[in-house]
Amino acid sequence: MPIPTLTQSIVITLIQCLLVVIFVFVVVPLTVFAERKVLGYLQQRLGSTRVASGHVGITGWMNRGMWKWGRVPVLSYWRGIPGLVADVLKLILKEDILPAKADKFVFFIAPALSMVAAVVVFAAVSFVPGVFFTFPKWFPYLGGLPVSGGIADINVGLLWILGVASVGVYGIVLAGWASNSKYPLLGGLRSAAQMVSYEVPLALSLLAPVVLSASLNFGEMSARMATGMPALALIPQILGFLLYLTCGFAETNRLPFDMPEAENELVAGFHTEYSGMKFGFFYLAEYINMTVVAALASGFFLGGPWLLPFGLQGLLNPHLPAFLSWFGEPHAIFFVVKIIFILFTYIWVRGTIPRYRYDQVMSVAWKYLIPVALVNLLLAAVVRCFAV
Amino acid sequence: MFKNEEMEINLGPQHPSTHGVLRVKLRLDGETITHCRPMIGYLHRGVEKICENQSFFQGQVWTDRMDYCSAVANNLGWAEANEKLFGITVPRRAQYIRTMLNEFNRLASHLIWLATHALDIGAMTVFLYAFREREDILDMNEAFCGSRLTTTAFRIGGLREDLPPGFEKMVQKFLAKFETCLEEYENLLSENRIWKKRTVGVAKLSAEDAIGLGVTGPVLRAAGVPYDIRKAFPYAAYAEMDFEVPTRTEADTYARYLVRMAEMRQSARIIQQCMDGMPEGPVMAKLPKILKAEVNEVYHATEAPKGEIGYYLVGEKGSGNPYRFHVRAPGFINLQALPKMAEGALIADIVAAIGTLDIVLGEIDR
Amino acid sequence: MSDETLPQAPETPAGPYVYDYAASPQRQIVLPKTVPVPSLRTYQAEVAAAAAADEAKWQKQLADFEVAKAKAEAEGKDAPKPPVRAVPRKDDNDMKTPWPQEAKDADLLRLQEVLGAKVEEIFEQAGELTCQVAKESILEALRLCRQDAALNYEMLADQSATHYPAAKDFAFSVVYHLTSISRRKRLRLRILVPEGFQPESACAVYPSANWMEREIYDMLGIRFANHPDMTRILCPEDWEGHPLRKDYPVVGWGQRDISFREDRGGMLERIALQKAGQLGINLKQPKAE
Repeated sequence: MPIPTLTQSIVITLIQCLLVVIFVFVVVPLTVFAERKVLGYLQQRLGSTRVASGHVGITGWMNRGMWKWGRVPVLSYWRGIPGLVADVLKLILKEDILPAKADKFVFFIAPALSMVAAVVVFAAVSFVPGVFFTFPKWFPYLGGLPVSGGIADINVGLLWILGVASVGVYGIVLAGWASNSKYPLLGGLRSAAQMVSYEVPLALSLLAPVVLSASLNFGEMSARMATGMPALALIPQILGFLLYLTCGFAETNRLPFDMPEAENELVAGFHTEYSGMKFGFFYLAEYINMTVVAALASGFFLGGPWLLPFGLQGLLNPHLPAFLSWFGEPHAIFFVVKIIFILFTYIWVRGTIPRYRYDQVMSVAWKYLIPVALVNLLLAAVVRCFAV
Repeated sequence: MFKNEEMEINLGPQHPSTHGVLRVKLRLDGETITHCRPMIGYLHRGVEKICENQSFFQGQVWTDRMDYCSAVANNLGWAEANEKLFGITVPRRAQYIRTMLNEFNRLASHLIWLATHALDIGAMTVFLYAFREREDILDMNEAFCGSRLTTTAFRIGGLREDLPPGFEKMVQKFLAKFETCLEEYENLLSENRIWKKRTVGVAKLSAEDAIGLGVTGPVLRAAGVPYDIRKAFPYAAYAEMDFEVPTRTEADTYARYLVRMAEMRQSARIIQQCMDGMPEGPVMAKLPKILKAEVNEVYHATEAPKGEIGYYLVGEKGSGNPYRFHVRAPGFINLQALPKMAEGALIADIVAAIGTLDIVLGEIDR
Repeated sequence: MSDETLPQAPETPAGPYVYDYAASPQRQIVLPKTVPVPSLRTYQAEVAAAAAADEAKWQKQLADFEVAKAKAEAEGKDAPKPPVRAVPRKDDNDMKTPWPQEAKDADLLRLQEVLGAKVEEIFEQAGELTCQVAKESILEALRLCRQDAALNYEMLADQSATHYPAAKDFAFSVVYHLTSISRRKRLRLRILVPEGFQPESACAVYPSANWMEREIYDMLGIRFANHPDMTRILCPEDWEGHPLRKDYPVVGWGQRDISFREDRGGMLERIALQKAGQLGINLKQPKAE
């Protein structure tokens, strides 16, 4: 295997970044679409089936196309898809209103901050261990070079993820503060307290995999968690998964913990004063954060690119017949399927349960989640001592 | 160095969970409400003044537009107040049909309450489930009187039309499925931990306070006072109906939820009894073409879904208009209790309190 | 901005704007001529007067007949038909007007017994109990209704008022609808108050009176003494006039047709006045009261 030069590796990294960004910007609109459709399904209605423009413009053209395809019963369900394009176009073209009394610089920087923090987390996420694909020999400049399954193979990847993700809070707090308006301020205050509180159980629940796998590198962790765990490790893993998912809901401001933007109390919370693409950034950041949480959950607990969750793959692999060996190997598709499943769970929960009150959110974190997370950590340590 | 300041914040008049154009001035200490003052009147149209300048028959149209979620109940109160003013006896069949439609209306209004209240607390799916059943009730309204929301269902002295053919089938179809629908809502909410956390012990209003503040309807019954005008001062055909008045003693938001759910079951029972015992006969009393009042004043109260709706009418000798028309709107009186329920609570609780009072600004501001 | 874009003045200017109800037929006020305060005493007087008038008419008819008969006999013609006393026509309908009746209910008698001369009138009509008390002693009457064990009216269901511009010695009637939840009874207390009189607020006895009295003040302009918060409730605080008075036009005085407190240059006001002039509506409002 040829060793890439420095410039070649930089180019490869750029290509990887591009791929991740494409992945994110494909998954996020699809999640938005799925949210509409799944909620519609849960609520016995159709969800979005058309876009407003109807016949003119880009979306009109797409819309007509979708309706033509829609004669096929399966495809008719996808008719709303041009609406996503219309939404993005609307956000881009909308007037960008700057409140007169807002702190201009902070007001501008806040959405960018949450957006960047959300996307940058993906740097440490490894989609598949080892080589993702190799450039063919005829490819100019990069021929024969391998592309790994993650952008940066950081050996303290988990720290990177936690550190960068918590920067995203600043986006929300600053947005609430910079708007110089009362509802956003309340939303910002809420999110400051809530996110700081929930980071504790979130980090504690992630410590269990760290203890079990004895690593901080995302790829290594997910590989060991998927294949190298004894049967006893199931308990801390399942418990940790539930804990992590709960905290993840809170960190991404989703129901039942959507305090910073509880629209029935705070109108729209921290982004009340935002419009246009600045609001779009918050919107995107929320969905990217959801994807990040889903990616981490599937990487650490659900077996990442392996087929089975909770380390069951390691138990299965010795008994796997040869003709099914494809299922014993890691594949990016499994990873993506798990992400999609968790994203679905987000929407499912949103359609089912009401919202907590603010003080109850805090008490859930401090009174229940942190003790349980500590117990879980202890369990993991015990398993680590005696079983691994 | 540290200043402890209270923040004053306006909840409304444009706010997602004030059910219209209610404005509540709040003073907050952190997230705790220290002072609460509802400010109303954004939807004031002068219904009373308008009705004083229209004939007795025309006034009913305006009662639809007060509490637009329970137009039929408002129509019933208006028609009966006028009948009391003129001393009109209404045929028995008309009474039965009125009772039945009124109960359907109670279902529709409670379903709207359930939908919006749950949405305020964050359970958005119940919203659409409840609207699904309400749609059937509106279809029945349409079959009976041609309009769905602002019905103008009754006439002074009875009904304009008898029930349309096929109405009974619609009713039976609805009743057959309604019980399972109620169970569906209850599955989503009754034992839901978050729902209980958000409602149990929230926005309490003791029986004493409720009576003092004139609060009626499910809010009063959830405080343990079995005051239902259908039982206490029977009107229409309620004296012949067999139903219970559900009460709770906890006096909180959850108790009001349970009371309203139980009331829906009782309403379905009453509808069934109306269908079973529907008498034959005319649906309109014999009346002169133009009603001319004598000097008289009446206050007629009926049990609207939100509470006691009372119509105060003063008649002038030989006049075709009411000399004075006044509505005792249940929402108006019930909203007085909001400061008592909300002060000392958190900002999320006032949303629950507004939802549980089941206010409609159309009738509060009139 | 060129002159074309500005709204043009009407060709026939409406002249100097003077507040004129006739300009718009909806703004005309027809003040009531009667004082429809239900009352047993008035009713009995009316019935007696009507009976007396009927009797007098009958006597006149009889006398006329006697005269005509004597004349016919004297002239030798046929005797005229004897007159037939007119029987009031009976309507064949389901209406049976409820007239005021003597008070027989124990509650009304109890009120009269305790309050004595402060009770001006008690009667029943359409199954409703009415007790009119002296305007100064309304709070005493309310307190009695609330606290007396035999009465025990726990709830003030409704409070309202009516404007009687044609009355001489009072201008408003204020009615209190009390409900006894435990005894399943309703009672109406009524006071007649002249313009400017401030009745005692019922808030001390029934807290629910708070908003209802604010509404009465807002709509009819009756101020209540000792009310904790005597401000307008439905209309804006700077509203002029009290809409439910009989001398207030149905479409209002146009306070909110233009509200241009922020229209510093007067541009919007000029446009509005021109538009209104074209429509024949006058927007220059007189100062109420």
